[in-house]
Formats: sequence, C-alpha cells, structure tokens
Amino acid sequence: MSEVSLVPPATVVLVSGGSRGLGLAIVTDLLAAGLKVAAFARTVTPELRALGEKYPDHLHYGSVDVNDAKAGQAFVKQVEEVLGPIDALVNNAAIGQDSLHVHTSADHLAEIIQTNLTSPLILTRFVLRRMLAKGLKGRIVNITSICAQRGYPGLVAYSATKGGMDAATRSLARELGGRILANSVAPGFFASEMSAVLGQTQLDQIVRRTPTGHLTEPEDVLPVVRMLLLENTNINGQVLVVDGAASI
Amino acid sequence: MVKRLTAWVLDGDPLGFGTMSSVARGRVREMMGEVMTAQGRSLPADDTADLREIGFRSLDFSELALRVEDELGDELNFDAPGLRRIATVGDVLDFIEQLQSA
Repeated sequence: MSEVSLVPPATVVLVSGGSRGLGLAIVTDLLAAGLKVAAFARTVTPELRALGEKYPDHLHYGSVDVNDAKAGQAFVKQVEEVLGPIDALVNNAAIGQDSLHVHTSADHLAEIIQTNLTSPLILTRFVLRRMLAKGLKGRIVNITSICAQRGYPGLVAYSATKGGMDAATRSLARELGGRILANSVAPGFFASEMSAVLGQTQLDQIVRRTPTGHLTEPEDVLPVVRMLLLENTNINGQVLVVDGAASI
Repeated sequence: MVKRLTAWVLDGDPLGFGTMSSVARGRVREMMGEVMTAQGRSLPADDTADLREIGFRSLDFSELALRVEDELGDELNFDAPGLRRIATVGDVLDFIEQLQSA
C-alpha cells in the first residue's frame, strides 16, 4: 500500500540549551519566523528573558538541566499546556571539551557522554512518545559537529558523542518511517570558539584554508535549521555540514 | 503474581473494557480502530485480518501501545523480535495482553 503524506511544517518547537550561543540564536530566529518556541537551559540568561518579554505568547522558557530527565519531562508537559503539542525538537544542549583524552578524567568523560548523547536520546524518546501517542507527525533536528566526521585533538569524547548523535539520527529516520523527519546539522568551528583557544596566526591560517574564506557563524546555521523544521524537502536521516568546506 | 492478578481483573470485567490496572482486549481493539481511522483506514471485524493488507505498520503499533500505556498509567516496553511475530489483528491484541501481564 503506497502512502504519501508530507510531514507538515513545525508549529511548536522545543529547543534544548536555548539560552545562549547557537541555541539562543535558533530560538530568536524561530520566534521571528512566527513559530511557538519552548527553550530550556541550566541557566536562564537575560537575553532569553528579554525574548520572553518580546514574545510573551510564543515563547515559554525554563531553567532545566538536560541531565535531569524528570525535570525535562515535566517541562515538556508544561509546554504542551502553555503552547500546545510539541511537533519539533532541536537537540542543541551540549558541553564542550578541551583536554587530551589521556588527561581527561573518567568522571568527565562520563559527564560529556551523559550530557551530549544519553540525555538528548532520553529527551528525544520522551518527545517522540508524546508525538506518536497524539498521532502527530513531526521533525527532529540534532545539532552535532564537524568533529563527528573529522579528527581534532582535545575533543575525543565530544567527537564520539556527536558521531553518536549523527548515527542515531540515521536510525531514527529509518525507525520513524517518514512520520518524523530526523536530521543533523553539523557546524564547523564557530569563530567565537576558535578565537577563545587559538592565536590570531592560527586563526588566519584556518581561514586561508577555508574555501569560503570565513569561519562558521551562528547566522550561517540558522537558515539550515529553519529549513529542516519548516520546508518540504524530503531530506531525512542526513547530516548537513555547515563549515564553508573547511573539512573537505 | 502479576499475571494471575491481571487474569483476575479481566475475569471480573465481563464487558471486556478493563479496569484501572489493565486495558482489556475490547478496549484495545477500539483504540486500534481509532489509530487506523485517524489515518483514513478502517479496522476489519475479523481478527485474522492480515496487518500488511489493512496497512497497519509497526509505527501504528507503537502509537497503539502508547495509547494503551496512557490508559494503563505504565510503560509497555518490548524488543523488536516480539513485534516481528505479529501478523494479524488478533496477534496485536494477544501481544498487548501479554505485555500487560508480563
């Protein structure tokens, strides 16, 4: 039996880690596009609070640690009451790493894996269960990293978690049978991140080796996330790299 | 013990609509019909109807299980091999019964 029915554009989007950096930029962009957005992070920043004042009917936010599954699930239910059923999830919350593997404690390894892989999978499971139980179609966008595809020193565990999310994305797309579109967006290193750990000479060298001539900015990633949430493209189970071809 | 308790609950429910601690076969069938209706299809009365022929896919089973969970107030987790043995409407109803009594 052939069954062709498109997944509608997202209307209520849950964004984890939405209080700063790329997460905050995604929240801001989706609100400007007219969507209802729910954002949580460990700490609610003044910027997120300001967005709440600007979009009181479209933004719901809260202080939730992504590793606290019960709090996350309570937040999801709260969002459903305030904004309506969630039909899209952006897994953005993550912690970074800047330590050689041999000098990273076992506890810190476990923390990176918990925050960047286990917790997003648990949140995804919960949101999917709510969607399926309501008979909804929906969309998932996992924010991963170029680290999942290329090796970088000091990022062993981080890379493993991002690769894990990319792999999960592909299996989710298969498992969810086109009812939920699941994709990853893998940015290259952001200029702000690079400048924090590299000197100007090294930065200049990386820029010279990047065909587009500039490092990735959050603004480069936003249209891609928006497209995956709103457009009918038949893109499913893919990892879209946004890095100016620095990695090819 | 749980199995006996469920059997007892079902025996005490002649209408087949379950109680707070289980969702009976009749109610599960009703919910299965709702899942199919929501997708523009209908559930045949015959329990031997083939799931492929009526277009009831694994994701539809997931949706049904989640609806049952919602009424049950408990999770019904299971491995994929169990699901692969299901071929007819009756198999679905049997499997949900087994999950509840496991």
